[in-house]
Amino acid sequence: VKFISPATEELSLLRADPLLSEQELDVRPDVAEAVERAVGKRAGKVYWRSRHDHLYALELADLGRGRPSMATVYGHWDRFEPRPPEHEIDADVLAFCVWVAETAESLNPADVLKVAQFAGIKTGWPQGTVLRTPEECFQNLPDFPYAPHYTEVEGLRVAYVESGSGKPILLLHGEPTWGYLYRHMIPPLSQIGRVIAPDLIGFGRSDKPLAANAYSYKSHVRWLRTFVETLDLSNITLVCQDWGGLLGLRLLSQIPERFSRLVAMNTGISGGQSATEAFYRWRRFSQRVPELNVPLLMRNSLTKKKLSDAEAAAYQAPFPSREYQMGARVFPRLVPIRPDHRGAYENRVAIEKLRTLDLPVLLPWGVEDAITLPWRDELRKIFSNSAPPIDLAGAGHFIQEDAGEEVAQHIMKWMKGQA
Amino acid sequence: MPPKPAFLEPLFPWHQHQITVNGRRMAYIDEGDPAGRPILLLSGNPTWGFLYRDFIQPLTQAGYRAIAPDWIGAGYSDHPRVDAALTLAHHVADLVSLIDQLDLNVFVIVWQDWGGPQGVGASLQRIEKLSGLVLMSTWLYTGLLSKFHTSPKPWTTWHAPLIGQYFMKRHKALSQHGPSTITVRGMSEEEALAYHHVFEEADSDHVVLTWPRTIPMGEGDRGWADMKAIENRLPELAETPVLLLWGSQDEVFPIEQHGARMKQLFPHAEGPIVLDRCRHFMQDDQGPEIAAAMVEFFNRRLGAGAK
Repeated sequence: VKFISPATEELSLLRADPLLSEQELDVRPDVAEAVERAVGKRAGKVYWRSRHDHLYALELADLGRGRPSMATVYGHWDRFEPRPPEHEIDADVLAFCVWVAETAESLNPADVLKVAQFAGIKTGWPQGTVLRTPEECFQNLPDFPYAPHYTEVEGLRVAYVESGSGKPILLLHGEPTWGYLYRHMIPPLSQIGRVIAPDLIGFGRSDKPLAANAYSYKSHVRWLRTFVETLDLSNITLVCQDWGGLLGLRLLSQIPERFSRLVAMNTGISGGQSATEAFYRWRRFSQRVPELNVPLLMRNSLTKKKLSDAEAAAYQAPFPSREYQMGARVFPRLVPIRPDHRGAYENRVAIEKLRTLDLPVLLPWGVEDAITLPWRDELRKIFSNSAPPIDLAGAGHFIQEDAGEEVAQHIMKWMKGQA
Repeated sequence: MPPKPAFLEPLFPWHQHQITVNGRRMAYIDEGDPAGRPILLLSGNPTWGFLYRDFIQPLTQAGYRAIAPDWIGAGYSDHPRVDAALTLAHHVADLVSLIDQLDLNVFVIVWQDWGGPQGVGASLQRIEKLSGLVLMSTWLYTGLLSKFHTSPKPWTTWHAPLIGQYFMKRHKALSQHGPSTITVRGMSEEEALAYHHVFEEADSDHVVLTWPRTIPMGEGDRGWADMKAIENRLPELAETPVLLLWGSQDEVFPIEQHGARMKQLFPHAEGPIVLDRCRHFMQDDQGPEIAAAMVEFFNRRLGAGAK
């Protein structure tokens, strides 16, 4: 457990009263002393950031005789929004209890875990809360012969495909696609490195939690970070588009030591400024349709390429019915478009960090994209020493479809130039 | 969830579903075509879904899906005795959770009293999914108080320190004397009991105490910052169809004051349609008339389909 001082901006977001989750914990004198020693306080509030990135406050009350006799744990999360899934809170508070046991000599952390297990406290995903698209949905994928690999983050299966060897090239897709989007870029890029294309949680062959509030900006970033750390990737060339960039750029700001190059295409990172008209239209549309018709969306967005029926079907494959689409349906409303939106503050911090990074940046851009075009110049400002953007005439938002081979050639030439 | 008493069945025959929102059980009725446009019917203090009993049939017959939740603390939902669970922000988050879990698209929110600030708060959180609003006897802003909320009889005395606790908790001044006391059309004993029985258990009416105390009278009051945050975002509703319905005898939110203010806030709104023989609990006084006006508005502006 790491105690932190929340930033002024964060504190103002917390405001006066905590949104739910009060948990009173009795504290024995010896435990109280240990906690007090560890946090360096006798009474008052201390904050810590949990494994799930939620902010918790521990309030120590000094009820006389000089020692705290009561402690209350408060969970703080976004105002007006439902609290996070119960399993996240359980995991956070359990981790805290283990820390308390570690801190106090009279308690054994292993006992805490044993008792939690005995009490049936489930910190993983309860049965029936996560969907997994059956493998038979993924038959007949044109130009995508790669066998899926699997790993696990926080009890969720993450799928990825891999090809080639050498330094990793991480391909991140966005809304509402999956690794399949990169099929024209994987063959050329795998000649110069180890290509890894994961499916985000809620997409492709990865697991799909059913609850809308299971998907948040910070959860996605955390899942992705765990993925990169589990595979222990370093010297990464990050290639990202759409949400792949909103997440990938945050990730880059968190663990820059693992990255050596950035290729950002039709994406960006928003600190809460307003978005384009086209985005507002898409956001509204996406939240109102009962079900996303992904093939139709793809066909309407592509400006050069025409998808065959089998290719179009491959984009619908991960979503055999609407229940599987929760991640895709939530994504558009997670883009921070107001300064007080969840994620906006974290992105502003991330942008400041990104400004200080000195890594080669390439910006291939499909210019027929009303949604992300203004972000291209924002990214140029953030990465002031990036090469001038490569504007691909006639290509749209899904640049990997409209100009995949061409972009791959640009990336290869650019990487060779640095060698 | 407590079982429904026998006397209630003929008055309120619909099945009470339950769902967990923010760790507590929320009760709601969900009637009509599941593929119809969802109409969320929000009650206020000290009522529950029963307030909308005259609305379910007209709405479902016209092809709409009628959903009437009970706020946490009220009706058949959990009645926690925890102040922090009954704040404005919390009620908003509870409703957002219901909207998320029922996966409601293109919904309409109908509200009265506290249903207003709480309903509009949730609407703004999911504004992309919102299709329309119906407002009755409510408020959404700081800085405009009715005489009702500033007069000693009964309101400020009811809520004075210590004295308020005595009236509200010991004598259940509001939870047993709400719609039944100011009804215009007259109310049967069973109907009155339907409102009262949910608060019969000792200390089960905590929300009746926290709601009035959350009405922000001045800056720094509990709920002030949240109400202000909601108020500041109201311009985002400039393109949402709005219908205003107000009772001519409403003393809680008088039409001259609050009806007029709503019209200023939503110049594009239809109405206010003024209903005679109607006080604060309009849905109870003039249920069938209001339901008919609503269905007419929905059919004309939105349509019953959820697509």
